[in-house]
Amino acid sequence: MTDQQVLVKALPAEPPPAARPAPGRRRARFDRQRTAMLLFIAPAAILYALMMIVPSLQSIQFSLTDWDGISDTFQYVGLRNYEDILTSGRFWNAVRNTLILGLGSAVVVNAIALGVAMMLDKLDHAQGFFRTIVYLPALVSGFIAATIWKYVLNYNFGAVNSTLKALGLDAQTRDWLGDHDIVLWVLLFIICFTLGGNTTLIYLANLQSVPQELVEAARIDGASRAQVFRYVTWPMLAGAVTVNMTLMMIAGWTIFDQIMVLTMGGPGFISETMAFFIYKVGFGEYRAGYGSAAAVVLFIVVMATTMIANRYMRSREIQA
Amino acid sequence: MTVVKPKRAKERRRLKPGEVVVMAVLSVLVLAVSFPVLYALLNSFRGYADITKDPMGLPTSLDFGNYVTLFKTTEYGEALLNTAIITAGTLAILLALVPMAAYGIERVGGRTGRWIYLLFIAGLMIPFQVRMIPLVTSMNEIGLYSTLTSVMLVHFGGSAAFGVLLYCSFIKGVPREIEEAANMDGAGRLRTFWSIVFPMLLPVTSAFVIIQALGLWNDFFIPLVFLDASSAGTINVALSRMSGLMASQWELIYTGAIVATVPSVLLFAAFQRYFIKGMSIGAVKG
Repeated sequence: MTDQQVLVKALPAEPPPAARPAPGRRRARFDRQRTAMLLFIAPAAILYALMMIVPSLQSIQFSLTDWDGISDTFQYVGLRNYEDILTSGRFWNAVRNTLILGLGSAVVVNAIALGVAMMLDKLDHAQGFFRTIVYLPALVSGFIAATIWKYVLNYNFGAVNSTLKALGLDAQTRDWLGDHDIVLWVLLFIICFTLGGNTTLIYLANLQSVPQELVEAARIDGASRAQVFRYVTWPMLAGAVTVNMTLMMIAGWTIFDQIMVLTMGGPGFISETMAFFIYKVGFGEYRAGYGSAAAVVLFIVVMATTMIANRYMRSREIQA
Repeated sequence: MTVVKPKRAKERRRLKPGEVVVMAVLSVLVLAVSFPVLYALLNSFRGYADITKDPMGLPTSLDFGNYVTLFKTTEYGEALLNTAIITAGTLAILLALVPMAAYGIERVGGRTGRWIYLLFIAGLMIPFQVRMIPLVTSMNEIGLYSTLTSVMLVHFGGSAAFGVLLYCSFIKGVPREIEEAANMDGAGRLRTFWSIVFPMLLPVTSAFVIIQALGLWNDFFIPLVFLDASSAGTINVALSRMSGLMASQWELIYTGAIVATVPSVLLFAAFQRYFIKGMSIGAVKG
């Protein structure tokens, strides 16, 4: 575009006929290049549109119907699904759980990861080795970890309750995944039972880019370790905090695996998250229209919180 | 005056007491967090009766009987193969299309490039649940439901967004002169891309491949939704079905969990260097 504008400006108002072919040829080459590049994009863009954009828009369409997911026909019911959702206690309970698990795990895991990264950063010897072993637990997927926890926390034969009994703490044994007072906190614990993995690596990379001169200057001026962290390191990490919190929150809004494996949303509906609610309603209860409306609400929540959080966190970043 | 200085002078320093403490704390933390997987590993060598009678007991011998039983009596072997096919297939589609598209987006540039870029990036904020129900319907209509192809195509949608983000930020730093010279020499644009540009993208490609490979291998939700009982499923789907149906075969669940984790560890061990470098690309601001 700008190339073309430059070209136009460079031309005299009344170009002599002989001068025309040259810019014409250049322009033709520019257009050919542009067409070729658009053709490079096309295959990925078409497949992406079919797998991402089109179905997302279809969800909006389905959300306005009473479709059950299997019949050939459905009727448009306007915004009734949305009214039903927003007045449903079960849905708001799922929203509350998603907030607790999503936001809670984002904050806790970021704190753990930052702590671990700062410890790694202190190492002058064998840092590579420790970075590797710290990452190893993150190779166990959330699904696999949850599956193992399900058996470890089993009421009758699980390792946790039998250890408590062996220690004479029979009163402390619980039905960890079936007690509606604690189940959510057990889930939060399991999701946060990590050293951070990728989050830690991102913090470590950022810690190592903090100019050492700045830290030393602050120390010479008499700042304590805590003050150096508060006034030098922490502000320099603001960019990494934004990235990590955003990534963790997007993941947090869609927590599903742990719920599916550990509680199936139970007891009752008490531990459902939004992602699980949509799955259960859409496929298990044959309410595709209703489930689609919940999916659209989830999308709005994800987009809004991501943007608000990003704006807030960006505002306190140092512009390097 | 040197502005850029390596953070730590590389002179040989003595091990400080503080470092030893940090190392000890980190080791304890790693062991603690590894508890579930270590517990599963130990119990994969024990029988059901032992596990339920004494849940904190240790295996008495290195008996691989559970591993043999797992592959003989369940469809886990097939599930393992399915997972490998989905992971490799999705990566192949991604690598065939995404780097080329990102290159096109950067070279088209201007307002058009910006809009196409944003369209791809928007996918990062669209949770899978939002497109799930329509995708199941469409896959059913075109006869792809419960095939590995459907899982790969659906994965492409989510991964392409991340790929475009990663590749575009990298391609910005690739000079145009080389490819223009190749064009002058008469090489076609497609050939120029695959023989000149694509090799220059190797650092970002290795990072993209390993991050995606781990994610694809470990995914549970997408294969759960798109593979029904007619398929053996993926490792995670198979494990989920096993823990539902075979509620009494704990030893096989633990064994399956270990089998599912081993390939991730091997992959990480083989490509660790690229991986850690990859996590730093784009992660460091400024």
